[in-house]
Amino acid sequence: MFSEDTILMLYEITDVIIAGLSNGSVYALMAVGMTLVYGVTKAFNFAYGDFFNMGGYFAWILIVGLGLEFGGYITVFLIVVPLLFAVGYGLETFMVAPLRNRADWENRVMMLTLGLALFLSNLYMVVFGTKLKSLPPIIDGILELGQIVFSYQDIMIFVMSLGGILLFGWMLNNTRTGLAVRAVAQNPAGAKIVGINIKRIFASTFAISTVMVGFGGILLSQKLFINPTSGGAIMVKAWVVTAFGGMGSIRGGLYAAFIIGMMEAFVGWIFGMSYTIIALFVLLLATLVIRPQGLMGKGA
Amino acid sequence: MIKVTDLNAYYGQFHVLKDVSITIDKKEVVVVLGPNGHGKSTLLKSICGLAEKTTGEIMLNDISLINLSSEKVVDFGVTYIAETRELFPNMTVLENLKLGAYSRHARPFEKENLEKVLDLFPRLAHRLKQMASTMSGGEAKMLAIARGLMSNAKFLAIDEPSLGLQPNLRTEVFNTIKAINDEGITILLVEQNIPQIAELASKIYVLEEGKITFEGSKDEAISDDHLKEIFLGM
Repeated sequence: MFSEDTILMLYEITDVIIAGLSNGSVYALMAVGMTLVYGVTKAFNFAYGDFFNMGGYFAWILIVGLGLEFGGYITVFLIVVPLLFAVGYGLETFMVAPLRNRADWENRVMMLTLGLALFLSNLYMVVFGTKLKSLPPIIDGILELGQIVFSYQDIMIFVMSLGGILLFGWMLNNTRTGLAVRAVAQNPAGAKIVGINIKRIFASTFAISTVMVGFGGILLSQKLFINPTSGGAIMVKAWVVTAFGGMGSIRGGLYAAFIIGMMEAFVGWIFGMSYTIIALFVLLLATLVIRPQGLMGKGA
Repeated sequence: MIKVTDLNAYYGQFHVLKDVSITIDKKEVVVVLGPNGHGKSTLLKSICGLAEKTTGEIMLNDISLINLSSEKVVDFGVTYIAETRELFPNMTVLENLKLGAYSRHARPFEKENLEKVLDLFPRLAHRLKQMASTMSGGEAKMLAIARGLMSNAKFLAIDEPSLGLQPNLRTEVFNTIKAINDEGITILLVEQNIPQIAELASKIYVLEEGKITFEGSKDEAISDDHLKEIFLGM
């Protein structure tokens, strides 16, 4: 039979895999949101990571600030999701859309969102202070299967992120708006010809991506802290996942997210957490050298 | 049905259409001829809400279409069929057709129009699950026309439907346009293919350097010396 040590290590590996899966599922949510905006509107959003924190802070205001106890996560989602949608929709309509008619608009949008990222992280510091905030778990407790222990929180994070992605994928393939979103991504000129309101699709897409990353923020902030200045690092992570998966490929983003989630968990376990960011960039560099279009990207 | 008065259109710095006035009556097939790059497509796009900047007046019966967005124009039953087809490459034929019926006024008729369209283009019926990007040039052209019909349009602006097609496919396309017109749909057609136009057209306009230089019936067009010169080199 196995020695005591081997068995202990097997349990540890199981823990690492569970952490990888739950983090990976949130990364998947973030990558799908990012690839969606890029694929449909061709705009790159530098403030993406700050919307992750926005989700976390909105939830924090409701739960900790206003004292809504943790049984009230359903209320939190019911309030925060429409709020994030409105923020994203308004931002695209009033700030991004006017730039689109100008020459060199892609760079202007990058500058705009870069400015917005700085604004938001400073706003968070002014309003919430530099001290990190944390959210209570959606569900406390653990599930024991023999010797293997799952925390309900990890299961919940996994189920909710994956649920979000599946719901989004279903909408993309089975609703009229979803069909229109795909049409705009594939051929904006054709979309106009059939009478699709492109501006509305751009705004909805931006709004949905804001919801996805903000929702990811609420989920992951239960395990990590909400840090007012972490937006840039989160954006970079979402971007690495997206680039690794292939810009514009939702399926690629999904695979990439779980591979990176797993990689982080194992690197963290073997070498320590501070090595995960190094591993991330090694992976990015390797991707750019060996397969610049990403796992499932179609190339330029 | 459509009356365009003193239409001016611009592409960035370029003044493409200069005081263009044309009239298309109900159930007519009106053809616009002219050299490439002289504004024929822009005229069609201007009517369908797809031009960058326009001034003047475009009336659909008593509704003004000038500077309306394409989604509103399509909703009034006015649809553009592009020479470049502008299909959705990574979608199936069926999805492309469904998107043709995206506008609000077309939705209730989606099923009915799909049946009609597949009747008109039996070849598409066998390829509903095929990706649009894998179709041949001729089939893609058919799909573009079929998608336009899905919008339940009363008026179609068709841009060079026979360009780049083999002669037998050209005849097929023209027969289809005739069949569409027989259903009561008014058509504004940009075309270079003189012999086949002559059979269809009830009125011909010539657009040169953004201006209308000829207007008349097909008989008048055939006997016009200037037209002979530019199109037949005689």
